[in-house]
Amino acid sequence: MSGAGAVDVLVVGGGATGAGILRDLARRGLRALLVERGDFGTGTTGRYHGLLHSGGRYAMRDSQAARECIVENRVLRRIAPASIEDTGGYFVATPDDPEDYVAAFPAACAAAGIECEEIPVAKALAREPALNPKIRRVFRLPDGSVEPWNLIDANLADARAHGSEARSYQRVVGFEREGDRITAATLRDERSGATTTISTRFVVSAAGAWAGRLAALTGVDLAMRPGKGVMLIYNQRMTDTVINRCHLSADGDIMVPVHTVAILGTTDVRVDDPDVYDITRGEVAALVAEGEKLFPDLGRMRLLRAYAGVRPLYEPPAGVQVSQNRALSRAHTVVDHRLDGVDNFVSIVGGKLTTYRLMAQDTVDSVASKLGVTEKCTTADEILPNQVPGKTYWLGHRLAEHEAEGGGDAPLLCECEFVTRSMLEAFLDEHWPCSIDDIRRGTRLGMGPCQGGFCTFRASGLIAERVARGAGGWGGVGPVVAAADGGAASGAAVASGAAGLRGAAAIEGPDGPIVDYLRERFNGTRPIAAGRQLQELWMVLGIYHGALGVDSLVDAGRGVGAGLAPPGPAEARDAER
Amino acid sequence: MPSADVVVVGAGLSGLTAALAAAESGALVQVLARGNAGTHWGSGGLDVAAPPGARSPRDGLATLAALPGHPYSSLGRDVEPALAWIRAILAAEGLAYQGSLDAPLQAAPTSIGGTRPVAILPTAQAAAARPWAPGERLVVCGIAGFKDFWPDAIAAGLSRPGTWGASPRPESVDAVTVTLPGLAARHNLNAVELARRFDDKAWRSAAIDRIASAVDAAWADPGGDAAGVGATGPGRVALPAVLGLNDHPALFDELRRRLPLEPFELPLVPPSLPGMRLYFALRAALIRMGGRVRIGEGIAHVERDGGRVTAVATEAASRTSTVRAGALIIATGGIAGGGIVADNAGHLYETVLGLPVEAPEVEAWLSRDAFDRKGHPLEAAGIRVDADLRPVDVSGAPLFENVRVVGSMLAGQRSLHERCRDGVAVASGFRAGRALGAAAASALTPSQEPAGSGTAR
Repeated sequence: MSGAGAVDVLVVGGGATGAGILRDLARRGLRALLVERGDFGTGTTGRYHGLLHSGGRYAMRDSQAARECIVENRVLRRIAPASIEDTGGYFVATPDDPEDYVAAFPAACAAAGIECEEIPVAKALAREPALNPKIRRVFRLPDGSVEPWNLIDANLADARAHGSEARSYQRVVGFEREGDRITAATLRDERSGATTTISTRFVVSAAGAWAGRLAALTGVDLAMRPGKGVMLIYNQRMTDTVINRCHLSADGDIMVPVHTVAILGTTDVRVDDPDVYDITRGEVAALVAEGEKLFPDLGRMRLLRAYAGVRPLYEPPAGVQVSQNRALSRAHTVVDHRLDGVDNFVSIVGGKLTTYRLMAQDTVDSVASKLGVTEKCTTADEILPNQVPGKTYWLGHRLAEHEAEGGGDAPLLCECEFVTRSMLEAFLDEHWPCSIDDIRRGTRLGMGPCQGGFCTFRASGLIAERVARGAGGWGGVGPVVAAADGGAASGAAVASGAAGLRGAAAIEGPDGPIVDYLRERFNGTRPIAAGRQLQELWMVLGIYHGALGVDSLVDAGRGVGAGLAPPGPAEARDAER
Repeated sequence: MPSADVVVVGAGLSGLTAALAAAESGALVQVLARGNAGTHWGSGGLDVAAPPGARSPRDGLATLAALPGHPYSSLGRDVEPALAWIRAILAAEGLAYQGSLDAPLQAAPTSIGGTRPVAILPTAQAAAARPWAPGERLVVCGIAGFKDFWPDAIAAGLSRPGTWGASPRPESVDAVTVTLPGLAARHNLNAVELARRFDDKAWRSAAIDRIASAVDAAWADPGGDAAGVGATGPGRVALPAVLGLNDHPALFDELRRRLPLEPFELPLVPPSLPGMRLYFALRAALIRMGGRVRIGEGIAHVERDGGRVTAVATEAASRTSTVRAGALIIATGGIAGGGIVADNAGHLYETVLGLPVEAPEVEAWLSRDAFDRKGHPLEAAGIRVDADLRPVDVSGAPLFENVRVVGSMLAGQRSLHERCRDGVAVASGFRAGRALGAAAASALTPSQEPAGSGTAR
């Protein structure tokens, strides 16, 4: 074990909330370090729906959450334009939705400060012809979709520009305490296994659904109530507008267009362990059946995969019995653990991606007052770095880039998502060492209909070529870090998705990157396998078993390959990033 | 209305084998297929049986034939004569295969740096199946700009001892990439485009020069660090399977003569040139025997009269056409081929006749791990047949007198981990085609009116 220095604040958890907290701390002059057990954005942030809330979904029953959403919606449009697609949102009243709810909806939106305009049904159907023609009323609200990984990157970049630091694949394995204070944390590098200690004046838990576990390391009891939400990814945008049912939020009542796909959500089921849960065919069928009330042809559209995220819901200690997870507030809480006997430790729990910045502000306000810092929050006013205003995602932009790069002769490594060799090389230059799964989050490689069948071995081939030739000053640094599937190891299937992927504990998978990535992609296909997607899966499995002998790689991993040398020392790799 | 003694739906290995067997027996045969089949994404080798632990295809065949409900429990005895017969036809078309049922299964390198057990391979892959002698080395030679073959990754994978299991392996594996004439600025080459270049005699002569000198250099300097300059000894060179399509045998002979090491092809992701060569050879032989092939036509519906199929209607872009059928062979490739489809609720349908599909419960279709050693229970899904390959109902009674089911449509095989796909295809196609062909030849053929005249819509 070696010492890794001292910081003012240690932030644990590299989702949007943690990244926002790091940015806020750094801008107020505190020297902070963020650590994340996997890649950034692999927990709930990377597995969320993609929705930029207008607040309309909360307007009727949680006006505080609704107000926070609309305020932050406007803030994000201003500070993070490159991460947002301004799709707009429709709240539609289907024949199944209660008339009194629909009648009261506009006033509730107005009370929360949300722009809500009723538009003619014919106009809505003209814009979104796949919608159920039997809808009775349509309200237009300022919903949108958010690219979460891009948003995290921008927050981390701003934090770094202000003197703070963020490290992925660093798991907190213990804390040192002196009396009622935490003095240091022990970190384990998930790639090399090396441990370090870091001294800190304050600890912020942004571990979300995993906050209970982290708190337990300090001896504090924090009752999280993780809520699993299942989402289904369709291989087309049957809508360019976010579509909500105008009723009390329930399963399968929202469709969000995200990049090249559209995502139907969601469910809400309590899970005991945020790392271990299953997605059943029954859940998939129930979601599709509900979704058909919005889009009658949904049952005939091609599903790409299913995934699930775990909401970081918090169970307050008051002993209030809550029967349904959906009734727990979607507002957030900064839990000060002084009352639990630890003076310099807070956890931020609850909340949602749309309000990540406000969550960070409230958290850092609390930290700042305890550390005697008087600087005010500036994160709502300052635009994030690397923003190109107005350049939100549109279908075809990659085709245009591809044409600009040489068209038919430009090397295309992922045909489904138009990922070129130069895009992949640029990502590797910046992020190596990384897993193919990390590449996916950065480029969408492997997210299309073949689910990695054709691009996985190409990405692994390009990496091997660069390692062998020492390109970009890599000098043959370490093997590809493969996403380890803790869920599979513990016997549970964990599905993952276009907007979402397992929280990867980054250890080198003994079976190598091709097997690990295809295995992960399969986990998301498994619950939905039918129709064309089952045919595609069968062809990919047939190719990899028949012509490519993939099972020999699995054997290699379980046999001799398991003894492969670990990657180089942690310090060397950190210097590469 | 055009007619045929035997209509075959599907143009993969099982369908073309069945068509050939029927045509050879004297029947007028019409093949109808929606598109290209498993040949185009297979390895081009003939996988007969390699369940875990099998020492040879014959050994594996015995294991699988002993499994209740496995297609080989009935077809096992047809495998050897069917293979000999189809190999003779392929050899006559210039596509020779090496190996036998008794050849020991060997670990052959693959284009993702793994290995697969092989015994019967086309000539261009055959050198991969010979055991590695002590000291023997392998050079993996890629083509600059070709995105489906990455020599450094392949060499890295093949350098891991575990990849080879208990099989002998090369002493060393080195990677080299060669830029071929006129392709320096090209970066999006696919296998078929490269194969067509290699068919050109003038171009390939220059290309082989460059490959030879690159392999020479890699051979003289293993590891690329100039430390082993001048190393000698036995060795082989692995090339991507892009070595010609129409003029492949002559090209491969030329390569063998001119390269310093013995070459062999590694099969790739689709489009598979070794599989396409197999398809074109089978199709050419069929047409020579008077058979007809139409690709691009999905089956719209099948006309029947009691327990007999009487005609098959197909649908292309702008027209339908109907072929009167004396008999029907369903060779539609199972789930991967689209012959069996699943709906969201977990029901499986056979797409030509709506035959009952034998399958596990939907929740048990797929194992939790994509690469579970036991495979996936859904692999066994398919059509249950009697010894004549006629589809049967749950009581075992045949549903149609003049219908046969072949290849990956047959229930009870686990082709991913049994590696029996090609053996089942050839044996079942052979049996079904022979029986229906002989029946047609001994009866009066219904009509000699030519097939293929469509009805304008």
